[in-house]
Amino acid sequence: MRRKRIVAMAWENLKLRRLRTSLTTLGVVIGITAVIALASLGEGFRVTVTQRMEQGFELNVLTVIPGSLFAGLARERFTDEKVQNITEISGVEIATPVMQIGNVTLYNGDKKVRAFVATAVNFTDFINVFPDRFTFESGGPPEQGRNDTIVLGYKVNHPNETETAFAVAGDGVNMSLTKTEGAYPFVRPVVKNYTFTVAGTLQKKGAPGITNFDYWVFIPLDTAREIYESSESDLIFAKVSDPDRSEEIAEDIEALFPRYKISILVPLTFIRQVDYIINLVQLFLTSIASISLLVAGIGIMNIMTVSVMERTREIGIMKAIGAKNMTILAMFLTEAALIGTLGGLIGVPTGYGLSYLLSFVVSRFMGGQHQQGTVLQTPETQQTMVSPIFSLWWAVGAMLFGIIVSVLFGLYPARKASKLDPVEALRYE
Amino acid sequence: MAAILEAKGVKRTYTMGRVLVPALRGVSLRVEEGEFVAIFGPSGSGKSTLLHVLGGLDRPDEGDVFISGVGLSTLSDDKLAEVRLRKIGFVFQFFNLLPRLTALRNVELPLTLADVPEKEAVERAKEVLKTVGLEERINHRPTELSGGEQQRVAIARALINEPKIVLADEPTGNLDTTTGWEIVHLMKRLNEEKGQTFVVVTHDQSAAETANRMIYLKDGVIQGVKKSSRGVRP
Repeated sequence: MRRKRIVAMAWENLKLRRLRTSLTTLGVVIGITAVIALASLGEGFRVTVTQRMEQGFELNVLTVIPGSLFAGLARERFTDEKVQNITEISGVEIATPVMQIGNVTLYNGDKKVRAFVATAVNFTDFINVFPDRFTFESGGPPEQGRNDTIVLGYKVNHPNETETAFAVAGDGVNMSLTKTEGAYPFVRPVVKNYTFTVAGTLQKKGAPGITNFDYWVFIPLDTAREIYESSESDLIFAKVSDPDRSEEIAEDIEALFPRYKISILVPLTFIRQVDYIINLVQLFLTSIASISLLVAGIGIMNIMTVSVMERTREIGIMKAIGAKNMTILAMFLTEAALIGTLGGLIGVPTGYGLSYLLSFVVSRFMGGQHQQGTVLQTPETQQTMVSPIFSLWWAVGAMLFGIIVSVLFGLYPARKASKLDPVEALRYE
Repeated sequence: MAAILEAKGVKRTYTMGRVLVPALRGVSLRVEEGEFVAIFGPSGSGKSTLLHVLGGLDRPDEGDVFISGVGLSTLSDDKLAEVRLRKIGFVFQFFNLLPRLTALRNVELPLTLADVPEKEAVERAKEVLKTVGLEERINHRPTELSGGEQQRVAIARALINEPKIVLADEPTGNLDTTTGWEIVHLMKRLNEEKGQTFVVVTHDQSAAETANRMIYLKDGVIQGVKKSSRGVRP
């Protein structure tokens, strides 16, 4: 029998038992709705998280830090030779050393502000590595060759988010820092004061990455080296030309140092890990949703078994006039497949609808929470909203899954129908 | 020349609970092309079982049935279905039409199973329905037809694939006498005008006597064969 006619007949049969068909289909609809809603929200969640992480972590910047989590964070320091070696690795555009000075206090007239970290950098290279982070509220990058300029991060300049800034470009500020003097064992801390001119103040970034420049002040590297009489550095930032190669480049950098003496933060690896975790969560959630689809499958099996019993005589007639077992099997399986298809056609859009509704409700709820204020609150997080993502792959996959489940559960009753003995089936009342 | 239908030593036993019921205890018969044969006997004589076995709906425990010389016992279920589809037409006491299909669709169904294109199938079905005198009612469903009309649809369905033999199981059994005779007339006419071979099972002796040959079956054994020259009685 031709496939088209089988489908037409199956469809007629389903239409004949409208209520029963609708209820059976509803089971499939609910299953597919659940799968699609969770999958599309999960997909949206993944994209949101990944995007935010990519904003926070410059994918093309590797951070080389001394020490290792395995062997203890021994304070290794980097020589300029190592920085040079890193620059020479193929794929590395720039490597720039950074010296960090802890706990500095800045004075501008009678205004006083504390910065956690003063970072000494080679401004030209450093801005080249982090071009997006240097947007100035006032002033601009320091002139080259000057050794008395300072750039202030947003939180340093506006310690309590105050309207009035601590300083603007052109102001002279005093920096007091603590350094040690004397040779071991006669080491003593000494507070020193230096004067800098503010070259620029930075706009708020709040990037929740590895480093947050809002809390930093920047001074020229050469100046810091003079103060500390040292040419070594604490961190190296390496900018790579192709982020996808960052993992192999990290290995090349590691090879320059003795084992476990350094660690390299590779944003790509981190993002991959997070992506992997989100994948697992998504898979887990959709698996749970799939259970409802299995329940729907059992519903199909139940209804079809009843249907086969009711239609025993019809099956007998079909067989008497020459229908093959395969034809009967195909007729019933087609009915099951049609229920699966129908369920998918309704369930996929419903699922996306539900996910939009859920994301709307959740974002309203979360929005209310954020207004109470949290430490991590930034303009971006206030707007954070997971929007579900339509993926053709998931839509097609869920539909196929629905059809496969329907057909699998339809197999038993359909086989039962096809194996009926025609004489007995004809006698059935 | 091989008979169009031949049964050789056919035995068939049913199990009803724990009791074995021998329905056929060695039946042999031949039907030649163009014959109108009646199998006559009291209820429980094994008539219907014999008809089912002859038509490939049921398999005998022993013996074999040959259609145009081809033994059915060696055929697979699918091949047997193919034989039922193309070589045999069935007519039942309770008509056995599919209730949700119109007369036309019911008649067309065997053609659909035989992969005949829909347009051609509809044409042929209309033609056969005309032959049985139902051209006016082709779009009615079985519930909208009288018993006699339903049986005509069933006969049309049996004829649609131009089978070698039409097997009818008590075709008048569920009809009043007048309508029953109309059906007998119709079958006789098809036999005489088109040379269609008929094997009709009945317990109605007067209907059986219209046949060319009457086979009397009792307790699963053929008790006698009677050639009848009697015409159709109104």
